[in-house]
Amino acid sequence: MNLYKSTTLKTPPPAGAHAARARTWIAENLTDRLRTDRAHDTPATLDELIAFERALHAAGFAGITWPREYEGHGLGPREHLEINREIGRAPMPNAVNSIGKELAGPIILAVGTEAQKAELLPAILTMQHIWCQGFSEPGAGSDLVALRTRAERVADGWRLNGQKIWTSGASKSQRCLLLARTGRAEDRHRGLVLFAVPMDAPGVDVREIRSIDGQWSFCEVFFNDVIVQDSHMLGAPDEGWNAAARVLSIERATNRMYRSWRFQSELEHLVAACRSDRRALGVLRPYMRQLAQIRVEIEMLKGLVETLVERLMTGSEIGPNGSFPKLYWSEAHQRFARIACEIVAQFPAVTEGPLADVRARMQDIYLASRAETIYAGTTEIQLDIIAKRILNLKRAA
Amino acid sequence: MADDLDPSEFEETARAAMAACAGTADPAARGRLLAEAGLLGVIAPEAVGGLDLPIRFALPVVKAAGAGLLGYPLIEALLLARHLAPVDPALAGAIVEGRTLASIAWTGCAEDRSVNGLPMGERADPVLVFLRDGGAGLLSRGQGCHALASTGLDIDLPDSTLVLSGAKPRMVLDAAAVAALRADAALLRAGFIEGAAAQCLALAADYAQERVQFGKPLSANQVLRHRLSRDALAVETIRAGLARALAEPAEGAAIAREAVWLCAAQTGPAIAESAIQVFGGMGFTWDVPLHRHLRQMQAQATRGTAIEGIDALAEALLADTENEWYGDLAYAG
Repeated sequence: MNLYKSTTLKTPPPAGAHAARARTWIAENLTDRLRTDRAHDTPATLDELIAFERALHAAGFAGITWPREYEGHGLGPREHLEINREIGRAPMPNAVNSIGKELAGPIILAVGTEAQKAELLPAILTMQHIWCQGFSEPGAGSDLVALRTRAERVADGWRLNGQKIWTSGASKSQRCLLLARTGRAEDRHRGLVLFAVPMDAPGVDVREIRSIDGQWSFCEVFFNDVIVQDSHMLGAPDEGWNAAARVLSIERATNRMYRSWRFQSELEHLVAACRSDRRALGVLRPYMRQLAQIRVEIEMLKGLVETLVERLMTGSEIGPNGSFPKLYWSEAHQRFARIACEIVAQFPAVTEGPLADVRARMQDIYLASRAETIYAGTTEIQLDIIAKRILNLKRAA
Repeated sequence: MADDLDPSEFEETARAAMAACAGTADPAARGRLLAEAGLLGVIAPEAVGGLDLPIRFALPVVKAAGAGLLGYPLIEALLLARHLAPVDPALAGAIVEGRTLASIAWTGCAEDRSVNGLPMGERADPVLVFLRDGGAGLLSRGQGCHALASTGLDIDLPDSTLVLSGAKPRMVLDAAAVAALRADAALLRAGFIEGAAAQCLALAADYAQERVQFGKPLSANQVLRHRLSRDALAVETIRAGLARALAEPAEGAAIAREAVWLCAAQTGPAIAESAIQVFGGMGFTWDVPLHRHLRQMQAQATRGTAIEGIDALAEALLADTENEWYGDLAYAG
């Protein structure tokens, strides 16, 4: 039974040419199966998600700023932002290969050899290679340079030994962006080296960890005498990591650039669903001042993101300023998720239709949002960065 | 003209003018100093002696005023010089030249017989008052109105209540003109608060590094480092929001402007409160100027009716959605 009242589409706000094309393509290709604002008895399969993401790239909406010779689309940050606004507005699934597209790819572009770029970059965009990020370890989370995974020189390349953890998506990945060290753990920042490790190499062992939302995307990954070639190393020891750190500061600022607009669409979904049912509307009303406050925060987040895009356009360093949008978004989104979860918990008992759909989505968002102040540098790390590198606060008299 | 200039070129002039104003107790003299620096007519038309620049050029001026605790109704002067110029060029010109200290009663309407939120109301003449039909009119002293002393928090720019006993305002602005004036006011207020909040943060960060307790500066303690980092985030958020609102984004210039104003009205005073906490007992003293910044920012929030703004935004959010993905959810209310 279709419990949605009509299929009237409202007139969207004006948009540039890239946005208009993206909007049309998404409307035509985002099927009900893939929509994240619908509760599904059987969620979309990995193959379905991969096919959608591949089509997204083929249509011009992934790899937007990458050079054309590596299957990118050769556009600039402003076009990237324009298209990401449309991606954010729509209830699209999160990218399966976000590590490949937003982390590994830019690092390879910065430090990779020509052969590496030609081999690895197109494979990311065409979804042949899904990537995972092998940085955190049981003893090296926020203190990343305490990592102990060893890369030892051997006759035919490098021998890798160690353990990574919180490696999202490792069990479905073909490549791991691995951070290891050539010397001792005491060396801290010295001797760090980046590899593109094939996940089917002998000695790579992946074990899934169930996360608080019931999902199995988290993993721990063991490297037991894994042999890789020099051609798998990204940049020289030290050089690769230093360049990667610069890329990371940009990525922290710009990855998932659609997040402000996705956040706004989640809020709009919640309110629209409540408006469609008198009982839910009664639940919603007392929360409207809090939700208006959230609406303000979403606009402010757009300002923080767009400021960094303008800095990129003028060639300015992003540096520690990437901490501002990360910190602001993660905490504002958690506040929204908490309010939304409280609202949907008071809904009448329904099992299908708009209220059931929005309830499932808001509960998912609430649980998933708990990770947002932890990953990509915890809230506490972001606050440390601002204190040290922006305010330059001294620690000793 | 705007193409040849950068708003930042006004920063140094504005700072110097605010410092000069701080050295005189007479508001009229402050007006003359501001006029001599060319600051009162930054956004007023050339026909009334202004520079006819876009509103973004007024931002460095109001930021400096916020940082410098200016005791002059600068925001009101900038707005009146710009928006009265088409209907009363003589008055607009006198404001630009600092010869007339005019102000605006921001809350209430003339038909209610009293209006409030009137900065420097005991000195101002004339005063713009709002009318129930959405327009605005001018009142001059001796026209059956008198100002009552301030009951607000601001001591540098005290607010008055204006009691109207038979006074008939001279209609000068229609509803559309008032809406345009209020839109400019939201940006100028947010800029003023950004300047004040950034100054509070700078004072607190300096103090935290000078003050030694337990053998180390306060800034060595993570709890204080993180407090100051959050305040820095809040200041940066206002700054970035203002830049975005001034760029008038195609997806919604009005919401961008309203949001930065509402954000500034809430977070600005909170930054001053936080700075007072960092200063400890010193922060609670009359001589440390943090309380004056706090008072000024709270007064701006009141004049701009920030609470009503949040409620209006809530109503708008509830009334409709612009996201076409949710157009199939009909309104059941």
